[in-house]
Amino acid sequence: MTDIMQVEGLCIAFGGLKAVDGVSFTAERNKITTVIGPNGAGKTTLFNLISGALKPSGGRVIIKGKDVTGKGPAALQEAGLARSFQITNLFFEMTVRENLRLAAQRLEPVGHALLPLRRHGRAADKVTALIERFGFAEKAHEIVAALSHGEQRRLEIAMCLASEPQVLMLDEPTQGMSHGDTEDTAQLIRSLTDEVTILLIEHDIGLVMSLSDHVVVMHQGRKLAEGIPAEVRADSAVQAAYFGHG
Amino acid sequence: MHDRLDISMRANHVFFGILVIVALVFAAFASFSGDVFYLRLATEALILGGLALSIDILLGFTGLLSLGQALYFGIGAYVSALVLREAPSFWLAMGAAGVSVLLAGIAGGLIANRVRGVYFALITFGMAQVVAKVVYNSRELGASDGLIGIPVIEVPLGFITLSAGDPLGFFLFTLVIIALLYSVSAYLLGTPFGRIIIALKANEKRVPYLGYSTWAARMAAYVLAAVIAGLAGALYPMLRGFVSPELLFFATSGDALIMVIVGGAGTLAGAIWGAVILTMLKSVIGSWTEHHLIVIGLIFMSAILFMPKGIVGMLKPFVERNLLRNSARQPKPEPERTAL
Repeated sequence: MTDIMQVEGLCIAFGGLKAVDGVSFTAERNKITTVIGPNGAGKTTLFNLISGALKPSGGRVIIKGKDVTGKGPAALQEAGLARSFQITNLFFEMTVRENLRLAAQRLEPVGHALLPLRRHGRAADKVTALIERFGFAEKAHEIVAALSHGEQRRLEIAMCLASEPQVLMLDEPTQGMSHGDTEDTAQLIRSLTDEVTILLIEHDIGLVMSLSDHVVVMHQGRKLAEGIPAEVRADSAVQAAYFGHG
Repeated sequence: MHDRLDISMRANHVFFGILVIVALVFAAFASFSGDVFYLRLATEALILGGLALSIDILLGFTGLLSLGQALYFGIGAYVSALVLREAPSFWLAMGAAGVSVLLAGIAGGLIANRVRGVYFALITFGMAQVVAKVVYNSRELGASDGLIGIPVIEVPLGFITLSAGDPLGFFLFTLVIIALLYSVSAYLLGTPFGRIIIALKANEKRVPYLGYSTWAARMAAYVLAAVIAGLAGALYPMLRGFVSPELLFFATSGDALIMVIVGGAGTLAGAIWGAVILTMLKSVIGSWTEHHLIVIGLIFMSAILFMPKGIVGMLKPFVERNLLRNSARQPKPEPERTAL
């Protein structure tokens, strides 16, 4: 089975507004599925429904064949899901290492929770590997608040990987980044598909087209179209709703 | 290199170590001069330090403002007093107090942890006031007079037996108990569990996405703080020979909160320093004027305005810098160089 996550008819309404209205799609294992759409299309709300931040009023979320609809964020993390946030959401007064350590200690058995922090073992090794891989060696002991915006965005991704998820949801990972940083991040995301399935929200259309295996287009809470990037780009409804606005 | 949180905790140990040294020097002087009053007062300061310590776990680490921590201090004191009146056994009294506050902490936590922020503060305040009023109106518990006539107990410590009536001995014994409570708190805050507690204060909303239950972590911190407050409270009747409903009132919670702020929230050692400083100030200023609470209030206000991090919090960065330099100076494993 190559489908790792199915989303079926997810719905939620705020007051009278149907923010997400019957959205369905499937994320294939080790592929990048990108959700695009104009501002207010309901992309982040969709993410919040999938990741347990909001309870859907209808529909289902299935991860690895298990129905996880309406479960809280901690239970979804348990099910193999990790997510980043559109607005950088880290432990700003802690160091880079401490942030990663906090996320990675999920890998240790629950019985270790009351033992001293181990300098070796799965969590410690994971932290060391992530610091190396994400280029934080020089800044491992810096307070996160002192990092640049680009570095904080990168740390967000590293935090998600620390618990070895199977599905990684990234909400605008390149938001506010310089062109160079965006390129680097795109390359990084591409390199992650060996380990995880990626669900992405992204605004940079060039990036979406080059990075995605599958694109889901949202408009006013509904799914407008989906397919491989080239198909989506050619779709006239999508052009009218999205690309038409330039 | 160590994590900053480890360095920070080691700096706390330095301040706690200084406190222990000061306490020992004071004890030596007091025993030399045959003083009783100040030894008793210092013992009370340490016991209140245990209460302040429990507030700091919540306020300084978990990010929860409890306005009713005296609830658990008072329950510990009352249970200890009731047991001691029936059977003057130190260990039995401590055990009974410990179990009672554990249960009370779980019950209180189930109520208080349903809400957050200001509402949490108000609920903790309300719970303590309700229980205090119940005790105040219960004739079985001595009502407004409290429980008096608690016998002077002997504490069997294996090799020696210590009398609670011996001011020097009981002061040193209390110092050991408070050091134990401090050590257990510091140890737990350094574990993976402790890191989650600290993460709650730093950014609670992010914690569930790392796979941890915020409710369970908050609950654990709350119960831990309740037990520490209760065990400290259990010592109180051994020192004073009585307990009164005032131990449960807001004045006790509020005073302990002032101790934490003056000493430095989030430093553990600062809570106990704050207790010592405030208790001494109260006594000294109280001997000059009966309006000592006005002076204490002014000191508290100036501390918040000019020293928001408290005494230990203000001095801590210097110690941390030294510790950092020392840990950086430690020889790192050099990458092996191959000869050309």
